[in-house]
Amino acid sequence: MNFRDILNSGKFTVTAEIGPPKGTDIKEMLHHMEVLRGKIDAANITDNQSAVMRICSLAVCKLAMENGLEPILQMTCRDRNRIGLQADLLGASVLGIKNVLCMTGDHVSAGDHKQAKPVYDVESVQLLKIVDGLNNGKDMSGNDLKGATDYFQGAVVTPESNPIEPQLMKFEKKVKAGAKFFQTQAIYDIEKFKTFMAHARQFPVKIMAGIVVLKSAGMANFMNNFVPGIKVPQNLIDELKAAGKEKALDAGLNIAARHIKQLKDEKICDGVHIMAIGMEDKVPVIMERAGLL
Amino acid sequence: MIATKKREFKELLENIKDYNSFFLVGCSECASLCGTGGEPELAELKEALEKEGKSVTGTFRAKTGCQVLGTKVELKPFKEHLEKTDVVIVMSCGAGTQAAVEIFPDKPVYQSNDTLFLANMTRYQIFDERCSLCGECILDETGGICPVTACPKGLLNGPCGGTNDGNCEVSPDIKCCWVKIYERLNKINRLDDMKKTMEAKDWSRSQKPRSLSVRVKEEKKK
Repeated sequence: MNFRDILNSGKFTVTAEIGPPKGTDIKEMLHHMEVLRGKIDAANITDNQSAVMRICSLAVCKLAMENGLEPILQMTCRDRNRIGLQADLLGASVLGIKNVLCMTGDHVSAGDHKQAKPVYDVESVQLLKIVDGLNNGKDMSGNDLKGATDYFQGAVVTPESNPIEPQLMKFEKKVKAGAKFFQTQAIYDIEKFKTFMAHARQFPVKIMAGIVVLKSAGMANFMNNFVPGIKVPQNLIDELKAAGKEKALDAGLNIAARHIKQLKDEKICDGVHIMAIGMEDKVPVIMERAGLL
Repeated sequence: MIATKKREFKELLENIKDYNSFFLVGCSECASLCGTGGEPELAELKEALEKEGKSVTGTFRAKTGCQVLGTKVELKPFKEHLEKTDVVIVMSCGAGTQAAVEIFPDKPVYQSNDTLFLANMTRYQIFDERCSLCGECILDETGGICPVTACPKGLLNGPCGGTNDGNCEVSPDIKCCWVKIYERLNKINRLDDMKKTMEAKDWSRSQKPRSLSVRVKEEKKK
């Protein structure tokens, strides 16, 4: 079964993130793919994540398929205008890529080419509409395509955003624009996430909770201070601290596993998206501890 | 108004190193308000150039330096000064410089400022960019706050995931304009405006170079 069918079947679905490397040495990334193969339902391939220039998502999606992983093509609006985006979407489609995650993309000021001209010709909501159009055989200008795409298109949402109302309004726009599934920004407070889910459940879309593995109390504090929309509660920071430096990562893996298990057991959402950020080989450990393997 | 910023004097000096005599053109509009091309700045640059051993044949503050014909007429009394001049230095915006290029087809024209943006002066000599001159105004749909300009990504359908307790991911000094739009629309009971999905912008409306004539009627009369 492919990612779309698994998610739609109601099975608790697991995706993980693979960040393409900067440079042509892909040994480590291929190793990560091997570790994840057969365990996760699909792999998100990031698109110049954090506006740092790397191998393009499209090429790595193809490599993922060749290495037995179903890819989700992450597509941001930062680096390509509507012509480039549509051309890549058609290209990805003929290479057999079936899933796309439509995002606006971190601003170039976050990355390693700060003098670049940010594009943002269109943004996430409009990109979702573009995908819907391509699926229906039309380009953005209404021209007929010789052969339509068949994408399963998703989007992102930040349940911990403050204020939340504008975020929820945009979430609804994304649903209307054709998003079928959502992968959320990292969540750490399950009770608060339930409030978001109560809202999200009004809409016919699948929600996968974002799980970012905490490696240390320092990392948690850093995210609280510097990463928008992420809030690690104090009790988790205390838990990481109590574990001590050497066992902090292990405690972080436990927290991730515990959250995933709760999300699944209480049927809070439809799956999880694990962002291990460089520790992709730990994803199976988390899944095992969560009782998913 | 157009915000301008003085270039480093060193930079100007490097650009004009091949020349000796200069005529300085300021502007009484935006550049005066920005402190880049008013009377004090004209005097200041004159002094600085003379200190470097250059000669200044005259200084002049245009009424509206971007107005080509008007400025040309205003410059008539300076004919003699200009004849003795190698180079014209314009101390206003890029439009002022290019007006001078048109007025002085045979003389090199240099500029002492960088041209920044269409500005609101919020307080004396403090400027904000609020309009990008995109050619397709959406202010009626966004509570009168322009996200094309106020959002570093120019997002049209609400905040991105980088919105951070009311601030922007790009800098904590920037307010998230979509939070501002949300708050304003909420206050004026127009929150439904924010629920409408805005289509992608028609950038052909701002295809450069743009020109405009509002003389159509007058010409018809002739």
